[in-house]
Amino acid sequence: MTDRQAEEQQLAAVWESPKGWRYWSDVNNTVVGLWYTATAFAFMLFGGVLALIIRTQLAVPENTLVEAETYNQVFTLHGTVMMFLFAVPIFEAVAILILPGMLGARDLPFPRLSAFGYWCFLIGGVFVCGSIFFNSAPDAGWFMYPPLSTEQSGIGADIWLLGLSFIEVASIAAAVELIVGVLKCRAPGMHINLTPLYGWYVLVVGGMILFAFPPLIAGDLLFELERLLDWPFFDVTRGGDPILWQHLFWIFGHPEVYIIFLPAIALLAMIVPTFAQRPIAGYSWIVLSALGTGFLSFGLWVHHMFTTGLPSISLGFFSAASEAVAIPTGIQIFAFISTVMLGSVVRSVPMLFCLGALAIFVLGGLTGVMVAVAPFDFQVHDSYFIVAHLHYTLIGGMLFPVMAGIVYYYPMVRGKTLSRKLGIWSFWLMFAGFNISFLPMHLTGMLGMPRRVFTYGAERGWSELNLLSTVGAFVFAAGFLILVWDCVRPRRQEPDAPRNVWKAGTLEWAARFGDNYGLRSIPHIDSRYPLWDDKDFTRKLDAGEGLLASAEEGKRETLVTSVLDAKPIQILRVAKPGWLPMIAAIGLGAVFIFMTFKWWIPTALGFALFLWATLRWLWTGTAEIPEKESKDAGGGLMLPLYVSGVRSSGWWAMFITMTGDFTAFLALLFGYFFFWTIHPDFPPPGVTGPGWVWPVMAGMAVMLSWGLTFASRLVNAAGHPGQARFLLVAGGIAALVACLAVLAGPWTSGLDPTTHSYPAIVWTLAIWVVAHLATGVLMQGYCFARSLHGKMTPRYDADIWNVTLYWHFAAIMGVVTCLVIGFFPMLT
Amino acid sequence: MTEDNAVKEVERETGSGTDLWSVIIAPFIWAAHFLVCYVGAAIYCQKLGRDADLGDIRLLVLGATAVALVGIGASTFRLWRVRGRSLTDNDFEYEHDTPEERHRFLSHVALMLCVLSAVAVIYVTIPMLYLSSCR
Repeated sequence: MTDRQAEEQQLAAVWESPKGWRYWSDVNNTVVGLWYTATAFAFMLFGGVLALIIRTQLAVPENTLVEAETYNQVFTLHGTVMMFLFAVPIFEAVAILILPGMLGARDLPFPRLSAFGYWCFLIGGVFVCGSIFFNSAPDAGWFMYPPLSTEQSGIGADIWLLGLSFIEVASIAAAVELIVGVLKCRAPGMHINLTPLYGWYVLVVGGMILFAFPPLIAGDLLFELERLLDWPFFDVTRGGDPILWQHLFWIFGHPEVYIIFLPAIALLAMIVPTFAQRPIAGYSWIVLSALGTGFLSFGLWVHHMFTTGLPSISLGFFSAASEAVAIPTGIQIFAFISTVMLGSVVRSVPMLFCLGALAIFVLGGLTGVMVAVAPFDFQVHDSYFIVAHLHYTLIGGMLFPVMAGIVYYYPMVRGKTLSRKLGIWSFWLMFAGFNISFLPMHLTGMLGMPRRVFTYGAERGWSELNLLSTVGAFVFAAGFLILVWDCVRPRRQEPDAPRNVWKAGTLEWAARFGDNYGLRSIPHIDSRYPLWDDKDFTRKLDAGEGLLASAEEGKRETLVTSVLDAKPIQILRVAKPGWLPMIAAIGLGAVFIFMTFKWWIPTALGFALFLWATLRWLWTGTAEIPEKESKDAGGGLMLPLYVSGVRSSGWWAMFITMTGDFTAFLALLFGYFFFWTIHPDFPPPGVTGPGWVWPVMAGMAVMLSWGLTFASRLVNAAGHPGQARFLLVAGGIAALVACLAVLAGPWTSGLDPTTHSYPAIVWTLAIWVVAHLATGVLMQGYCFARSLHGKMTPRYDADIWNVTLYWHFAAIMGVVTCLVIGFFPMLT
Repeated sequence: MTEDNAVKEVERETGSGTDLWSVIIAPFIWAAHFLVCYVGAAIYCQKLGRDADLGDIRLLVLGATAVALVGIGASTFRLWRVRGRSLTDNDFEYEHDTPEERHRFLSHVALMLCVLSAVAVIYVTIPMLYLSSCR
């Protein structure tokens, strides 16, 4: 056996998936990505069945197929499933699956986090979907507007809320993973201007998730506090306001549309050049449009609230921004069209879906420009026109591109090609069925049919249009099922797909099917389409001439490179398969699920399990001290095996996570000031809490704890781990004092959170800070224990770097909260 | 990349300094401008009632727009100089394998984002020019 064969066997052994039932403990991106994609499609089929029930019910007037109550559950769950269990997760799923290959990485930097995200998604999704079989599904519409949702009796709203909060955790986990992946795990030489466009889109979308999802988490928190403890955030009779929910929901909800759309259109940016047989036209324009859309999409949320009676100047701002976002969106469409026109197009099924996507999305975009105009929106608000518009954007902007992606990447993931004939049938049935179903809805809406009605009278004149829509929906479903069948049918007898079956130019097609480790060796990249530009590329790759061509220490390793120019800076050892991510997800799932039913003891047990699994996960396999300082990555390139601080991927993950967390805090703070704007007297007359004395003491204790933690890091680095441990203990005590002082303010001044929105929001901010301080104490204790066990030393100090970073954020939140609740009442 | 191109690359050295953070300066200015306009007007109208004239807040919005456009303009000016020096061979693809090319690419994206952000800032200001009250 030659050395090369031995190296390949090492790699294969190190990256091999576990066998038998242990298969489910795998964490590798190719396996987790596949589960993720399959699960998202399973939920999609479930949502599709709900859609068919809706269409069947509406096929004829005065239909009695389902009761009004059931219908409410069906349409709520349809929207919820499609948005939260398909559209967003499919982005994470596909990105986890294909991104490492595209960047030339062996895996993403935090494989266990991907697996944790997946299990959260699965458990939360099954919980939310399963509720309909117990007649207790959410039934107030997928955006859950109070007061309808807060004051109805069933637990459907709680299931929606807690199930989705749980799934949001998965999204933020994926965002952390993917942002760090794109920035730090590109193959050497892949400068940021050579990065595949998919990577750019993932970067933008990851950033958007950090600013879009946290406001919803904050909203969920307020919502659940109202449902569970009767704190009146959205109850007008006690100083609340349902509009606050609408703001928080749509600050999330509108960027979310683009969070769904951008990664799907990113697939087009990979597929179109392959079949046009030329590089993408206007690479930099597409990057511009992704970034521009990412920003502008945050200035649109009020266009969902045009009819809530806000001042027309507010509507004007959002109307203008909604029109402006059409500019970057249009740019990327033109870039795709010009790529097609400049190239010589190979006819193929993925290309059919791409062109279908462009056609449908452009129509949806045009109606979007129409409804961005406030007076037009007043007319069609909550009508079937909106239903038509949103399905044109989502199906053209997300589903069709994803279908193109499925057909395109199937050979890479499964090693076989899908049937061309079935693909063409599927496309035309879906394309025709979609338009038959949704084009008439524009008219149905103009004729006055409101969305979400469970039936209608024959005299309304909507009957024919509705019947047509129903027929179209079934044609569409038939097309979809054909593709699903083609994906899942047994195909052992069929020949394997050849390597790089579509003759693409990007890196993900360089790998051989079945190699769990990805590329045989990590190549140096010097162009956007290395497989086209370097005819010798694959041979060099297979000969192991790149980096990390072996795994002699038996560890899973991937390369970390610099952000802009992708210079190799570290060999990162990533985790092997294990059950901890799944156990942590089960624990966290138990917390959310049992809380729904107010079973407090199982909730506490679930939390304990989650905590144990997380700590064990961190203790084993993060920031492990390597057996040697550095290692030859290949060709004499010596790279360190351990880095800490700002150069490490863990530090960036903490930074990104805390950015998201801080956004949630800002959303709560927004709630505080929102209540100030709507009340002439704030705090309400007769309320004096929480005073300034306790908040000032709390703020000082927070600063002290932060300072001690920071000092501990410096002292540790200076070579005094003993003193560093002492400082950590002192910091922990200061943080506990701060916790008590934060709570003492509202407690001693007798603020009752059930009486009015003011005490409720003050208590919420205080609890938010206490939760963060308590987590901070846990982290200080963790570093203390690591140091005591020799797992953290002056040289190997990644843990305390990351904990200090956490404390920077926690301290800012603590001090800002103390200043706001302590001093703002004096200013008013 | 041929040797000839490599030589040109060095000749049209344009400096460095455009990183991912500076690429998003202009859209960030747009976001700040947007928030100032919206939050300012929302609080103003909420506190003064729906019959209030937009007079004072209009000045704030127009002032914010001026500041935003000056900020975007300054950013544009810097990037325009990079652009002027980088167009010696009509190369808009920015696909060479050098830090220099990466810098020119990011500068180009940043420049276009300046244009987009300026347009969006102006868009957002327009309603303030023709509405007169908080109604």
